Order: sequence, then structure tokens, then C-alpha cells
Amino acid sequence: MIAGRVIGGDFSRILARQKSDYAMELGELLVAEKDGEKILLQVFDLVYGSQMSQQNLELISGFQLEEDSEIEVMDTKLRNYNIAALKTLVGIKGNKASMCKNLPAFFSELRQVTNDDLAFITKPKNPIFIGKLRSGSKALDVDVFLDGSKVFAHHILIPATTGKGKSNLTKCLLWDSVDKEYCGILVLDPHDEYYGRTELGLKDHPMKDKIVYYTPRSAPSGQRTLKINLNLLRPSHFAGSLAFTDAQGDAINAYYRKYGDTWIEALLLEQQIDVQVQDYTKAVVKRKLINLLDLSVNNKVYCNGIFDSTAGQTTLVDIAAELEKGNIVILDTSSFSGNLEILIGSMIALEILDRYKASKMKGSLEEKPVISIVIEEAPRVLGKDVLDAGPNVFSMIAREGRKFKIGLTAITQLPSLIPRDILANMNTKIVLGIEMAPERQAIIESASQDLSNDGRTIASLDIGEALITSNFAKFAIPVKIPFFDDFVKGYQNKFNADKYSKSFSGIKKG
Amino acid sequence: MADCHIGSWRDPKLREISTEAFSKSVDICIERKVDFVLISGDFFNTSLPSIDRLKVAVNKLRQLKENWIPVYIIPGSHDFSPSGKTMLDVLEEAGLMINVVKGSIVDERLRLSFTIDKKTGAKITGILGKRGMLDRHYYEALDKEPLEREEGFKIFMFHTAIEEFKPSDFEGINVSPLSTLPKNFNYYAGGHVHYVFSRKVEDYGLISYPGPLFPNSFKELEELGCGGFYIYEDGNLERVKIELLKTLHLSFSCSGKNPKQVNDMVMTRIESEDIKDKLITLRFYGKIVDGKISEIDFGHIFSEIAKKRPYLAVKNTNALSSDEFEDMKVEMGSADEIEERAVKEQSSGLSLFSDEAEMLQKLINTFNTEKKEGERQIDFEERIVKEASETLNL
Repeated sequence: MIAGRVIGGDFSRILARQKSDYAMELGELLVAEKDGEKILLQVFDLVYGSQMSQQNLELISGFQLEEDSEIEVMDTKLRNYNIAALKTLVGIKGNKASMCKNLPAFFSELRQVTNDDLAFITKPKNPIFIGKLRSGSKALDVDVFLDGSKVFAHHILIPATTGKGKSNLTKCLLWDSVDKEYCGILVLDPHDEYYGRTELGLKDHPMKDKIVYYTPRSAPSGQRTLKINLNLLRPSHFAGSLAFTDAQGDAINAYYRKYGDTWIEALLLEQQIDVQVQDYTKAVVKRKLINLLDLSVNNKVYCNGIFDSTAGQTTLVDIAAELEKGNIVILDTSSFSGNLEILIGSMIALEILDRYKASKMKGSLEEKPVISIVIEEAPRVLGKDVLDAGPNVFSMIAREGRKFKIGLTAITQLPSLIPRDILANMNTKIVLGIEMAPERQAIIESASQDLSNDGRTIASLDIGEALITSNFAKFAIPVKIPFFDDFVKGYQNKFNADKYSKSFSGIKKG
Repeated sequence: MADCHIGSWRDPKLREISTEAFSKSVDICIERKVDFVLISGDFFNTSLPSIDRLKVAVNKLRQLKENWIPVYIIPGSHDFSPSGKTMLDVLEEAGLMINVVKGSIVDERLRLSFTIDKKTGAKITGILGKRGMLDRHYYEALDKEPLEREEGFKIFMFHTAIEEFKPSDFEGINVSPLSTLPKNFNYYAGGHVHYVFSRKVEDYGLISYPGPLFPNSFKELEELGCGGFYIYEDGNLERVKIELLKTLHLSFSCSGKNPKQVNDMVMTRIESEDIKDKLITLRFYGKIVDGKISEIDFGHIFSEIAKKRPYLAVKNTNALSSDEFEDMKVEMGSADEIEERAVKEQSSGLSLFSDEAEMLQKLINTFNTEKKEGERQIDFEERIVKEASETLNL
């Protein structure tokens, strides 16, 4: 169907007149053809156009409003119309797309995009499903996949205002990742929403054996109670979760040097060390550790929280091993303070990073799956103010994790709080609706594609509508994210779980 | 108690003493007048133990019976033959022990029933252990609600590691999480993991692993020294150690030393130690230089040790290397652990059968079967071929 005709503009802002019986939308995809080649364009602005002067327009509307007359303009479809501002996305030749470097011909017809036009959108080798291609508000029957092994390693940012569908998108991404061997995903879940204790969630996946859920409270049957052995803590784990002065840092390092694994116990029980530590410094360090780790001391260290003196000896290694198997590990951190969540996340992230660094040295990194760490409210660990106090493992991963096949999937309402160099390192951004201009601007300035004209489009994204900008996409792709419950229903039908009946030999009748 | 492993160890002296550990444990139970004995799996080291080991076991079980001390047991991973047979069935038929793994399968759910101890009224149930975590689906299918609802003093016996409490040796190995156990039992009698552990756990109860009655590997000899079991009384646990002999553990760092220097180091150490009647373990580790491991004169070392009349001396050189073997991968752990890891690694790459891990584990068990006493070679071979064929559905 003809939607309009090109009438002017420049390369960054092509103007087209809209056909009177067609309603263009912001974000709509249109096609112009030229010499057997196609150009894919996207509407980024809409304005009124008229052959009449503004004075006359105002007069006519005055008649209509004040005189209640049925005055009509002759050839109204010709005289009044909409003008669309468009940008070129890609040039299409056959089944191949490339950066567009020319303009559509003057007076070119613009028509609706069809599936045939989009044959260049193919499924990559290691696909991760994001959603259906969207033209304006209409979802097209074209699945949008990205190369998961690349996008996870090069970090994903999911910025959006509350209620625009961040959790839904993350659930869909995780669900689709479950059966993918190429990636393992660690989820720090501060709202305990992804496993689905009481509602539909990842626990309902047909391949639920690939989901490992750790929770500090009443673990569902088959899932694990989160316990971490106190002896696994190292001073470096506290970067980003506890701020120590230089003197306090020296004290904990001195204890670690002397007592090794049992340094926390030694410090809390004030055992002897070779260096002089002020009583006040010791007292402050003790208080900080006791509060954060939920410990108490009475001639002995008592563990009241998830840190434990006997249990949880293998938790970090087990989690890393599950991720290396390409599984999804969800940590229910809903009952933790923000600092405790960051501490635990840091411990696991460092373990993974160390293992993958060792694999790289051995030359076996290529065989390992890429690992992504999902962090909600990312500025808590990647915010400018946090990083001013010193780097932490997450900022380290954001900057150099891709060399070791470890990436972040950072979710935030406030991307502007994240330093620009880190935002620029997030090579895939799945942008949902953002009303706040400074937040949009932070995304636009760090996007992989030129989004300088898309501020309004991003502001107008409805729930579940997204714009993907990625180094691994040919253009900023508009998508419609499926509603998780519908997505799951469609997926479950593809699987026939528990194909093999289990034997229960050895159970005697009685 | 758990992990008696009667008949373990190739060395006759160690095999004898590991059997003696069970005899001694029974004597203590009789002397302490316990109400009943729980054995949480791996009573024997193999499903079909030799006659002489069986004779000792039966004799001691008979003594317990004569003293009105019932024995409640669950089969462990070592108690089953590949075809699912176990000598424990024979002992149960003879009235010497009671297998508490009883229940029914209803709609693919496992409903366990309780065995009630007549003297105390204690209600006992449990799940058997199988190699390579093949018992995992028993826990997944377990209908826990009726067990948790049951009133009275309840005991749950199990033969598996618990994810949250497993020792560091089990790093990266999937085992059952705590949440797979039914809640609200007074006592959880665990086996399989050869370590000593007990802990009261909220919503559950007292969970314990008494460790083996006698160490079952070189590492356990070093770490545990001796075996033991727990006596439970009024909510309190007392660990009873079975110390049948004294042990001495010697560890030698050989890094940067040549074979002659290693010889000298060991000899000097031995001269200074009192080793008479002790079980001596010698662990060698590190990378030697200017020579091969075979140039260390272990023959001479052991003959010198023998002159000081130890009970027995054993060595371990798993972590010892030289340039000659630089690229050799050293697998650490017991034979079972190494097998489990290998099965896990190999089974992940193929999709020929519905449950390759289970099939591989059964095949390993089959090929691990020993010839029975009096069994003809041809019958033995036929039996192995038959069991392997059944496993492979040929």
C-alpha cells in the first residue's frame, strides 16, 4: 500500500508527504525503491502541511468553531496533509542489506514494508530471540534475533522508565537462553521475580534442570539454600560494598596475610597480628563486618545470615561450574541489603573472572560458554559516584570482561548515572520507553547507531515496545517484546519434557 | 553409622582392619545398650561380598539381634549390583536387618512409608543411594507432605551429599540440595560423604554424617585418621571414634629436589619418627628435578620402614611429577569420584541413549563386578556379557 511520496529534505531528514488515506506512525518502517534496489526508511517525526496560509487555516477553524457552519475546503485531501520526516536505515539489494549511502529518488513512492523486503534479517548462529520486528506500533511477523554469544559478551543495557517492561523483557531473554548451550547467565534478582515461586517464571521452563535457584529462605524443593562459607571471603571482595579508610584497609589486609582463610574470625576475635592496629580502627572494621555479614561475637563467631562457618564451602565454585555448563543461576537477593547483594555478586563475579582468565591462559576459553551477569539498578555498582570511590569487579567486567567472554546485562531507569565510557562499552542497548530527556540523551549519545533524531520515538515507546541499538545489528531495530505469559505458552508446546520414564528400583513395597 | 564398606581395601591388612572396625562398633553398641542401629548405606564395599567378610558381618549382626538391638538400613551406592541385586536382601530375609526404603509409586510420585521401631516407637524411613547421583529423581519424585505431616519421633535415612553442606571435595559436582529432603524429622542419618558433620537445621532437624567406620582411601586415612559413628540420645549426639591403631602421616615436598635428595629426606625423617605398630602414610608431592620418579628408591625406603616394625606403610605419589610427566593430567579423588566425573564429562557429548549417565554408570558397575567364589570363568564371563547386554538393551 502506498503510504506517501518523497518530497525533499536532506540525508538525515528526508521529507515525505503522507497519502491522505494512510496514517503514518512514529517509528514506522517504509520502503522506497530505486533501480531495483530498496531503501528501508523509518519515520521519526510527523508535522502538518498545508497549501493554505496559516491565517486562512485559522479563519476556517474559526468558522467551524464559532459559526457552527459546515464550511468545507475544496480538495481538502490535496490542500491539507501530513509531512513525515524519515531517516534511512539500510539499503537492500536482494537478500543483503548494507549501510545506505544515497537518497531515494525525488517523488519516490513510499510503501509499507513487507516480509519479502526483510529477508536480510536472518537468524544468527547463536541466536537470542528479542521480539518481533515492529513498524510503528504494529508487530510484523518477522522474528528478531541477535547473536547471543556476541551481545552477551559485549554487554547489554536495558534502560527504561518503570512500568515499560524491563522485567518482562528480561524474563523473555532468560527464558529463551535456557536451552542455549553458548551462554550461562547469573541473575542477581532483588525482587525475586524471575524464578517464579508463586507465579509463572523460569521454574516452568521445560528444561528446568538448567535453572539453578539459590535463595536464603525456604528453598523450593530441588532448589538450593544460599549459604556461603565465611572462609571464602577475601578483602578484595568488599570493593564496592564496604568503604574502608586506608587504615581500615591496611588492618584487614594484615589479618588476611597472617590468618589466610580464617582472617575474619581472627579479626573479630581480635587475635594477634604483627602490625600495630589502632583499637578504634579495629572496632570500626569489626562493626562494619558484623553488620554486613550478619555475624555476632561472644568468644566465638556466630553466623546468623547467609554466611556460615561450616556450610557453603563449595557455593562459589558450584555457581561458577553451573554457569560454565551454560546454565542459568538465579540468586534471590530480595531479603539482602544493597551492599550485601553487591558483596555476593562480587564474590561470584570474581570467581568466574578468575576461572575464565585461567582458561584464557590455558587456551581453552573458546570452548567455554559466554557468561552474562544480570544486574538490576545497575548504577548501584556502575554509577559515577560509586566508581569515584574506586573500581569494583563489575566496572572491571564492563571495561574488559569481553576479552574473557564475560559480560553484563545491566538494567536501569537512570542510565545517565553511568559514566559515559562504560555506557559506550555496552554495545547492545535494548531501549524501552524513557520519558526523561536527560536519560534519553545519555542513551542517544552512547548508542551504536545514530539515534540523534530518535528522542521523540524513544519517549513515545509504549509498554513492550523497544528499540535495539547494537554493534551487532545493521540498524537500530524497532521490536515488539512479547508478553512473557504468551511467550511461555507458545514455547512450552515445542517441548515434550520428561520423555523418559524413570525407574524406581530398590523401593520395596510396604 | 554409615559407610562401613566391609571388604574394602585391596591390601589384606587394611581390609582386615576395616572389617574389624565394624566388629568393634557393634561391640560398643551392645556395651552401650543402644535401642537400635541405623546404617545409612554402603554396608558392604561390593554388592556381592566375599564369604569371609560376609561371615564376620553376619556374626556381628546376629550378636545385635541376640541383644534385641534391631538394625535399620538403607542400601548405598556400593550395595547394589548392576542388575539391582544386593546382599542386604539376603540379610533382611534372615531377619538380621530391616531395609527401611519402603513405599509405593503413585502417579510417578514416590510415597515412602515408615518402619516403626517397636521398642521406642521411632518412625524410620529413607531413600537408598545410587552411584553417579542416579538416586536424584527419587528425591525429585518424593511426596514429602505425608512424611512431614506424620506425628512422632521421625528419622530420615539418606545416602547422598547435601548441596549446602557438602565438603570442598565435592566442588562443582551436582548433589541434592537440602530442599529435596522432607522437613520436620527429628534426625537425619546421612551417609555417602565420608566426613564428620552434624548440625541442627531450621525447619528440618538434626542432620548428621558420622563418616566411615574406617577410612576408605589414602586421603581419608590422612584426614580422618580413624572412623567412627554417632550415638544419639535425647537430641544430643556423641561421636564414638573407632581407633584400632595409631597412625602417622608423613608428607614430603619434593619440589626442586632430585631423587637422591628425596631419598635422603625421607630416610632422615623416618629415622626420627616412632613408627612401631603404627599405620604410616607417606605422601609425596611437587616436581622433582634432574631425574625420574622411578629413580626414587621406594623399595629401599619401605625396607627401612619395615625394620622399625610399623603395622603398615602406604604411599601416595599422585601429586608427584617430574619433567618427564609434565603434561600428564593427575586426577585427584577416589575411584568413585573420578568415575563419576568421567561419566559426566563423556555423557554430555553424546545422545545415543535416553539416559547416558545412568547407562554408563551401570556399565562401569558391570565391568567392576568381581568373580564370585566358586564361579567358573565361563559363567563369570557369561554373567558379565548378560548384564552388559541388558544395560544396553541388546
